[in-house]
Amino acid sequence: MVVLSVLEERYESLSPSEFFYRNREIAGFSNPTRALYQTVRELVENSLDATELHKIPPDIKIIISIKEPPDLVSILVEDNGIGIPHEEVPFVFGRVFYGSKYVLRQSRGVFGLGIKMAVLYAQITTGKPIWIRTSTMNSKIIAEYRIKMDISRNMPIVISANFRKKRSKWHGTIVKLITKGNWTLARRRIEDYIRRTAMITPYADIYFKGPDVELIFKRNTRKMPTPPKVGKPHPYGIDLEMLRRLIEIHNRNITLRDFIMKCFEGVGEGIAHNFLEWARLNGDKKLKDLSTSEIENLLNKMKSYRGWRRPRALSLSPLGEDLLRKGIERILSPEYVVTVTRKTSSYSGNPFIVEVGLAWGGKIPMVRSPILYRFANKIPLLYDEGVDVARQVVDKIDWSLYRVKFPAPLAVIVHLCSTKVPFKGVGKEAIADVVEVEKEIENAIKEAARSLRKYLTLIERKRALIAKRITISKYIPEVARALAEVTGTSETKIAKKLSLILDRIMRTESKKRGDIDHE
Amino acid sequence: MSSKTNTTRNDVLKHLEEIGKRILEDIGKERPPKLKIRVRSLSNTVWCPEEKILKLGPRCAVREFFNLRETRKFMQTVLMLSLIVRARREGDYPTIRDLYYMGKHTIEYKDLHGKLRRENTWETQDESDYIIQDIEVLTNLLREDMGIMFDAKGRMVGKVIIRSKGNTIDLSKMGVGAFAIPPNVGDIDIVDVDADYVLIVEKGAIFERLNNEEFWKKHNCVLMTGKGQPDRGTRRMAKRISEEFDLPVYILTDSDPFGFYIYSVYKYGSISLSYESERLAVTRAKFLGVSTSDIYRYKIPRKFIIKATDRDIRRARELLRYPWFQSKIWKEELSLFIKKREKVEIEAFSGFGFKYLSDKYIPEKIEREEFID
Repeated sequence: MVVLSVLEERYESLSPSEFFYRNREIAGFSNPTRALYQTVRELVENSLDATELHKIPPDIKIIISIKEPPDLVSILVEDNGIGIPHEEVPFVFGRVFYGSKYVLRQSRGVFGLGIKMAVLYAQITTGKPIWIRTSTMNSKIIAEYRIKMDISRNMPIVISANFRKKRSKWHGTIVKLITKGNWTLARRRIEDYIRRTAMITPYADIYFKGPDVELIFKRNTRKMPTPPKVGKPHPYGIDLEMLRRLIEIHNRNITLRDFIMKCFEGVGEGIAHNFLEWARLNGDKKLKDLSTSEIENLLNKMKSYRGWRRPRALSLSPLGEDLLRKGIERILSPEYVVTVTRKTSSYSGNPFIVEVGLAWGGKIPMVRSPILYRFANKIPLLYDEGVDVARQVVDKIDWSLYRVKFPAPLAVIVHLCSTKVPFKGVGKEAIADVVEVEKEIENAIKEAARSLRKYLTLIERKRALIAKRITISKYIPEVARALAEVTGTSETKIAKKLSLILDRIMRTESKKRGDIDHE
Repeated sequence: MSSKTNTTRNDVLKHLEEIGKRILEDIGKERPPKLKIRVRSLSNTVWCPEEKILKLGPRCAVREFFNLRETRKFMQTVLMLSLIVRARREGDYPTIRDLYYMGKHTIEYKDLHGKLRRENTWETQDESDYIIQDIEVLTNLLREDMGIMFDAKGRMVGKVIIRSKGNTIDLSKMGVGAFAIPPNVGDIDIVDVDADYVLIVEKGAIFERLNNEEFWKKHNCVLMTGKGQPDRGTRRMAKRISEEFDLPVYILTDSDPFGFYIYSVYKYGSISLSYESERLAVTRAKFLGVSTSDIYRYKIPRKFIIKATDRDIRRARELLRYPWFQSKIWKEELSLFIKKREKVEIEAFSGFGFKYLSDKYIPEKIEREEFID
């Protein structure tokens, strides 16, 4: 939102596309390595949003090849999503601020800006158009476009458009672009990104082929999280720009009372009445008659009123404990996983949910401090881990309380869902240390860690029991032999009896300690 | 004494077999087998003021085969039991080192990770010796009675007639040598002793010198040595002669806390073997010297006086805390030692001439009854 207001106030002479091009590092396109990674990300995230928001189990294909060595790279991303109505294709890819994401719900990209940055960057660095093939579910045709962008006018230029009859049931979108990028340097990041994306989408089939790498992630569940409902903003969660936009897009003839009842979450007649009375505002006043200072006053009053309902989480779509477990299992193959999805909380009127997973053992390597996987609205966060609030929480926790002694094979997965993720800085790679969020992450990790402790205690006891059996039973032959010599009784008979007693003792002890022997 | 020992030979075997049978009984009834053994530690060593000996206290530890901490020791105990029973049945007299080798074998097993591992029934002789002591406590039998031998180092000489394995031996006819006291003193008949007292010297070298001079003949005594810390044979022999022939026993050691402690081992028993004091303590033993005050009374030349080490002082402080060193005179001697920080060896008397010790110091001390009880 900051970007928007700055844009409107100071860069009026620049088109949005021009503005974004000049500020490309904000969107993560600062150099060829970062740009390649960012392009893959934007395309994959668009594909995931096009599928999972509509409950389609995603099939995502990512193919990267080196077009012209050393640094002309071709990127193709295919999905089985809802597709794009063919008449809208040029604007979706060729015009900044066009898209379907201008509503308040949790999705990966908020403004659909990233994809345009990718297109812009590709065009600037290679001069080549973007290629799109798409078809919606009910459409009878498949559309193919080659599009460029008129940067100064913020308009698409259609190089070619091609429509043909659809013979299959295929729907979805394929985007291919050629951009300048450094594959060698970006490779590790991209792989890491795809692996982590696969972790947070256990219901997605993801296929990735690069110049020298192939990764295949098969879905291990067909269950999908409930897609987020479109939510209204909460009075605490808005700022002046948002309020202005909301007023702009609504019928300006409605009254102030109707406006707050219709446009904000949890505001009914009673609450609207109480608020207007408390704020000494005239509820019958028409929206169009509000002056700038009156709008500012409205905002201040809304922010300081204590009578609003708490924000709800309909607009959030956490993965849920089961799916998060599935995701962790498919990528980390641990010996033990525990997941916790917390109840909805809020900070400054923005609802959020924290989900946490702890994975232990299996293929997780021994580490001196927990490996951290961070996600915000199902997007993996790869950079700036050191300043992320989740890292701070993980490092602050006294793991020895939970029977974890480092080096240990422990990974922590933190997923924050929010209609507004409190990112640190413009890089959108780290969560800021908002007190409410920090507290929730800490509570979630501790809750999960208590289960981990139980598990580790059981494992330890089980090992101790097995160790005890080994320690004692190895002496049975010697004791039997000695007693046989002293008493003249048969050695095998004594040994058998001793084994019998040992079995009985082991049975009682494992029962006493909670039966853990499932195998 | 000897005839009694011979008749108990069979009883010893029965007694040992009985312990095996009791364990087997538990196993037969599918009860976890256990052994109750009195704890042999300083904290369970009791000073018995009436009898004036160190005794093993009443505290017991249960050694259970199915207890993780005890299982190895349990195995070792029944293993050792079987070795001793075998020796008794076959009439063998193994040494503690023989028992160590006879019982040492390798157990193979797979560990938690399925890896093949090896473990010996016991690693060092210390381990098997410890178990022998446990069996002594468990059976209330001394190892000598169980026919277990050890490297005996005691020597004795004097007008003593003994009978052993059918031979009569006159200990005054050993020439320049001396009779080597065996571990199984119980198997010896002491036929006759013609002596006024028994003199035990700490050091083998002093024993050899006094024997060479025929001190025992001149002064009509039995001369013995345990060569440092006395073994059980030496102690038992001293006790038997003293008690069976009603003779006082005088002990001569270096003048330092280790010498003082050796005296107390003869007289009261040792901490590590407190369970056998009753059968080994020489209650009539008296400390002849060399006491700390003797250093000054006999004006031993400064050049023969050795400066005490910190270890000596620590040891002296420990002795001061033992209940059997609480007599007024011992407290004075030990305090004097701690104050002066000086010690001497018996050989220091040679500074006055080679025969000073035998002609003057020992007879004079005995005559004047200048010993510490």
